[in-house]
Amino acid sequence: MIEVSNLRKNFGDIEALKGVSFSVRAGEIYGLLGPNGAGKSTTIGVLCGLVVPDSGQASLDGIDIARRPVEARRVLGVVPQEVALYTEFTARDNLSFFGRLYGLGGSRLSEAVEQVLERVGLADRAREPIERFSGGMLRRLNIAAGLLHGPKAVLMDEPTVGLDPQSRASILELVRSIAAGGAAVVYTTHYLDEAERLCDRIGVIDRGSILAEGTLQELRDAAGAREIIALRGTFAAEVVTREMQKHPEFEVLKVTDGELLLTVQRAEQHVAALLAAASSLGTVREVAIRQPSLESLFIKLTGRELRE
Amino acid sequence: MTAALTIAAHHIRRVVRNPGLILLLLAIPLTFAIIEYAAFGRTVAKGTLPPATVLFLDEDDTLVSSALPQVFSGGPAKDFFELSQVQSKSEAVRLFKRGQAAALIVVPSGFQSAVLEGKRAELGFYPNPVQSIGPEIARSMLEMTALIGNGLYAKALEPIAQIRALVQAEREPTSDEVAAISRGFFEAGRRLSSLQGLSGLTVGVQRPGASAVKTGFGNDPGQFFAYVFPGLVVFGLLLIAQALAMRLMRDRLRGLQRRLVVTPVGPSAVILGGVFYLVAALFALLVFLGIIGAVVFRIQLRDPVSLVAIGAGFAIFASGLHLLSVSLARSDRGAGFVGSVIVLVLSLIGGSFVPAEQYPPFLRSLAVLVPNGAAQQGFIDVLVHKLPLAALGGRLAVVWSWGLAAMGLAVYFEQRRLRS
Repeated sequence: MIEVSNLRKNFGDIEALKGVSFSVRAGEIYGLLGPNGAGKSTTIGVLCGLVVPDSGQASLDGIDIARRPVEARRVLGVVPQEVALYTEFTARDNLSFFGRLYGLGGSRLSEAVEQVLERVGLADRAREPIERFSGGMLRRLNIAAGLLHGPKAVLMDEPTVGLDPQSRASILELVRSIAAGGAAVVYTTHYLDEAERLCDRIGVIDRGSILAEGTLQELRDAAGAREIIALRGTFAAEVVTREMQKHPEFEVLKVTDGELLLTVQRAEQHVAALLAAASSLGTVREVAIRQPSLESLFIKLTGRELRE
Repeated sequence: MTAALTIAAHHIRRVVRNPGLILLLLAIPLTFAIIEYAAFGRTVAKGTLPPATVLFLDEDDTLVSSALPQVFSGGPAKDFFELSQVQSKSEAVRLFKRGQAAALIVVPSGFQSAVLEGKRAELGFYPNPVQSIGPEIARSMLEMTALIGNGLYAKALEPIAQIRALVQAEREPTSDEVAAISRGFFEAGRRLSSLQGLSGLTVGVQRPGASAVKTGFGNDPGQFFAYVFPGLVVFGLLLIAQALAMRLMRDRLRGLQRRLVVTPVGPSAVILGGVFYLVAALFALLVFLGIIGAVVFRIQLRDPVSLVAIGAGFAIFASGLHLLSVSLARSDRGAGFVGSVIVLVLSLIGGSFVPAEQYPPFLRSLAVLVPNGAAQQGFIDVLVHKLPLAALGGRLAVVWSWGLAAMGLAVYFEQRRLRS
């Protein structure tokens, strides 16, 4: 349904995309994960038809986006990160306006509005000005505006930012129902646990390239059976690098002034030795062992955490 | 095109739902006009200057001194002056400070005696230092009165001398003396009566036609406002255009614009929708202000085709200017600041606050080269000078050239920004 092939895009001297490729099938949720500046926004811009790639191709339902952007947008639903709605209007008026821009009108528009309001659980609040809505309700309406025309492909850009756990759960359930309805969903998020719970496949993007891609299990396997030992305290990078060369069983994932992340197989067997050497690394105040996860893979691939 | 109109209608509906700021801005030109009407309208409507209040302090308290106020309160002078008696100079100073009087005339003690004795008799004249026109008129009136009084005095020297002799002798006049004094004043009056011809003076006016009678704006309030109101309307529309364009800027910052451009209508329809919205809203507000001008300020909206031609051109300019400003700005504060500075500078150069006719020649030429100045003068040419559309070519060329240039640049930069 969504095909992205070898996209390249330069902005002046900056290489924003260096051959990005992925595909998303109908009914699949694809998580696109990457830190800020990784190339996510440019990729989404290409899928929306707003950014023309220097080379490569992107298509939606077989429609070449660069050549036929209007037709491509008809099958695309976009849920932006911001709550992009008109606060002067009711939920129904907002949806009616967006529906008209997608070519809906008359009874078709009315039915589509009613259905989508029902789907996001706002049917009973349809006539209320949305300035009275809670954050969770606004997010659901924000999603509804992107689903109104029954798109075959949906781009969702961090749709749960700033929400409480209950509202997040409700939105994630909604996203699953969208995919269950047959739409291909590209989902970007800064919450790794959300990606782990929601996405069928995940692509890790950084510095304009997809660094790893696969199902959650495939990525966990790629991360290996190595666990993460996280030390919090005060560290100097050059000292840590020098000292850890004496312990080749450990791999340094990340070192900052306040945190040191290491990977090792069977961490519990090595913690004692690590603590014995800890005084030479810096001041250690806290030690934690984490199971292999998407996070460890992400850090391993990008050298950064997702929120950076 | 349909999509652009849908978007424009949507933006206009938003303004209608939330009109507070626009109404507030609409009130600016109306408030200015009402203030100007309160200050000048009543007297301008009558074709006269506002009456100046002259204070009168009589320290002599005699027959002659009590006759002096008649100079200001009687005859034709009564239309120009309002006379008010005061008891002291300090009372006059208080009224001066409040701006409630233009001048003070003091008749000093001994004035009548000096007149009768043929000595130099002086009146005190104190202009209010914070006023200019009123005191000057009062001073001129007093000097003219003194001139005429001196003439009358010269004609009646003989009977005055007879009265003075009787006063000095402290005795009752005989019937022959009374008759002689009366004869003397009669002769003086007769000699002065030759001046009465002046009172019957008439000035013949050649009137080329009924329409020429009301040229200028002093004859009725409609003419006055036809001259003043266009500048205020043009200024108000520039401000309103900025407020309307800032809504688009805020839409952009809140991600609403991006949400629109990812729909099938695409960026061109979104930009065009914004243009239609601004031009249509400004033109509608221009028509609304025109109706207010006609109903409230009695401006005769003649030659609607010319007014529409100028108004449409100016609506396009104001829209283009502020669309360009928000397109180039990175924040709403930046757009607000730049837009306000441009509006202020254009309004000062174009003559929104001070009529361009009062400018020195260079600035006057410049005023009609800026779009708001040309639009303002174009409206005045139609409403006051009653020029036909064919005579407005220069004004229309300036307004439309600026309008199309500003709009063209705005659309170009907005497209470039959306595609980057």
